[in-house]
Amino acid sequence: MAVASPQTSRGTIGSERRSEMIAGYVLVAVPMIIFLIFNIGQIFYALYISLFDWGARGAKEFLGTANYTDLLGDPIFQKAITNTLYYAALVVPLQMAIGLFLAVIVNQKIRGQTFFRAAFYFPAIASSAAITVLFIFIMNPEGLFNNVRAAIGLNPIFAALGFPADQNWLLDSSTAMNSIILLNAWTTSGTMMLFYLSFLQTISKEVYEAAAIDGASWWQNFRHITFPLLAPGHYFVATVSLIGALQMFDQAIIAGGSGGEPNNALTVIVLFLYRSAIREFDFGLAAAVGIILFVIVFAFTLVQRRLFGQAPAW
Amino acid sequence: MTTQATVQPKASAADSAAPVGDRSARLRLILAYVLLIGYALLMFVPFAWSVATSFKTRADAAQLTFIPDPVSLTGWNAAFNDLDPAIPVLFFNSFLIAGIVTVTNLVLGSMAGYAFARLRFPGREILFLLVLGTMMIPDQLRLVPVYQILRTLGLLGGNAQYIGVIVILAIAAPSIFLLRQYFMSIPVALEEAAKLDGAGFYTTFWRIILPLATPALAAVAILSFQGTWNGFFWPSVILQERDNWTLPLGLWQFNDLYNANWPALMAVVVMATLPIVVLYVFFQRYFIEGVAAASVKG
Repeated sequence: MAVASPQTSRGTIGSERRSEMIAGYVLVAVPMIIFLIFNIGQIFYALYISLFDWGARGAKEFLGTANYTDLLGDPIFQKAITNTLYYAALVVPLQMAIGLFLAVIVNQKIRGQTFFRAAFYFPAIASSAAITVLFIFIMNPEGLFNNVRAAIGLNPIFAALGFPADQNWLLDSSTAMNSIILLNAWTTSGTMMLFYLSFLQTISKEVYEAAAIDGASWWQNFRHITFPLLAPGHYFVATVSLIGALQMFDQAIIAGGSGGEPNNALTVIVLFLYRSAIREFDFGLAAAVGIILFVIVFAFTLVQRRLFGQAPAW
Repeated sequence: MTTQATVQPKASAADSAAPVGDRSARLRLILAYVLLIGYALLMFVPFAWSVATSFKTRADAAQLTFIPDPVSLTGWNAAFNDLDPAIPVLFFNSFLIAGIVTVTNLVLGSMAGYAFARLRFPGREILFLLVLGTMMIPDQLRLVPVYQILRTLGLLGGNAQYIGVIVILAIAAPSIFLLRQYFMSIPVALEEAAKLDGAGFYTTFWRIILPLATPALAAVAILSFQGTWNGFFWPSVILQERDNWTLPLGLWQFNDLYNANWPALMAVVVMATLPIVVLYVFFQRYFIEGVAAASVKG
């Protein structure tokens, strides 16, 4: 500390202000440069590229909005949008419901609270690649899932629903996406639980004490106090879950390859984007997909904000 | 809420005020434990199954028995000898990239976090909004332009691919945000005392602020390491040559190539997951605090 003393103690207020300013800019410089070049600036570059026929060697021809009109008329891209929306429509409520349910249970006065909290978050710490390969193993025709349902006598029910004993869940186009929904409800509900738990801690105990005096039951507490007072939590969890769902990619490409097999059942928007860029080198088209995705994410965030009437927590 | 209270005030008042001893409360507690333990098993069993399967033979892997019979190392042998790139290469790449990205996030994140928390300079608020704004931009929107820039810079081939991935992941907005929040919670009095002793901004940052912020630094280190170790999207875009692959990319390809060689695949799954599990066992608090900090503070 003594090293710096001669300069600063002798300096006037003006020069101290100046050195504070310089220190501020110096300390934020590198992150800001990286953000401007590789992050914020990319929106404009992506928009620019999307207006061209842009191949592996760069711009070939100015197209205007042709990439966008091509995309919107492409049945595979339409399927990618439908698949993504279907996935989001199911996985978001599932993750919210399971996350809320776990949070409320773990938040009670129970033994082993820390253990259960850690256990429920456990699947979220593994890599998407490891957990998807593990899931593919579990769901293969001879895997754990089919073996367990046979062993506990559930096969008549599954047969009635039209699933044979050796159903290949991830390679059947009618069950592939639902399986991925199951996978991500399993891995990510723990994260949603942690979010809900931190919002539960913001509800004051006095509200419950007042309700106890009124003789409110556990369910009444939940229905009339916990659930409505968690509104900011619902907004936050819904937003995080939805943004994640619209960007789902890892599980789809690991289970279904860049073709989104079987029969494009797993072709989601980001998979389509990756395929156009990295496999087909149609960068103009891929950039247009990115812009459309950005617009969709942005629109949904705005709709959610209106629905919940709440500013985001960040 | 109040209508029922008038019907049987005593019983239900006891219900929520003194949960222990009450019959319905006890029942609820038992139900809660059954659910908790059942759900916890659902979390662990698949992982335990992958460990068990890695020691099975290929025929045994299709059986609904947990204990391998016979215990076999063929899966581990295949994982170590038949894969290309070899497991040590994948580990080296994953450690190299995750290690460097962790260090850059700590260094750049704490510097910027301190400036945003404590130093006054024109444009500070706008710059900080810009930092938060980066979280609104989907990574996928950046795929094409980032790919173009990295190719122009010659960072898409050979060992330069490492630099490509590292530059993209070098600093994440949550690292800055988390550290800024923590720095703001440190009492200013400490810095004022140091200032009276003649310490400058850099000295205060290095000697006073950083040592007090170890919990936040640990949380950022763990989140960065885990996120990068597990990362899939950017590596799958940038690391096109197999010698530079990380463990998740290796797993992706092996799953296609060694289809149904479950013991070998599960051995790789176990190896890829183990380092993070070890971190989780020892530093569980920081994992959970890091996630929670992202939600409420703001």
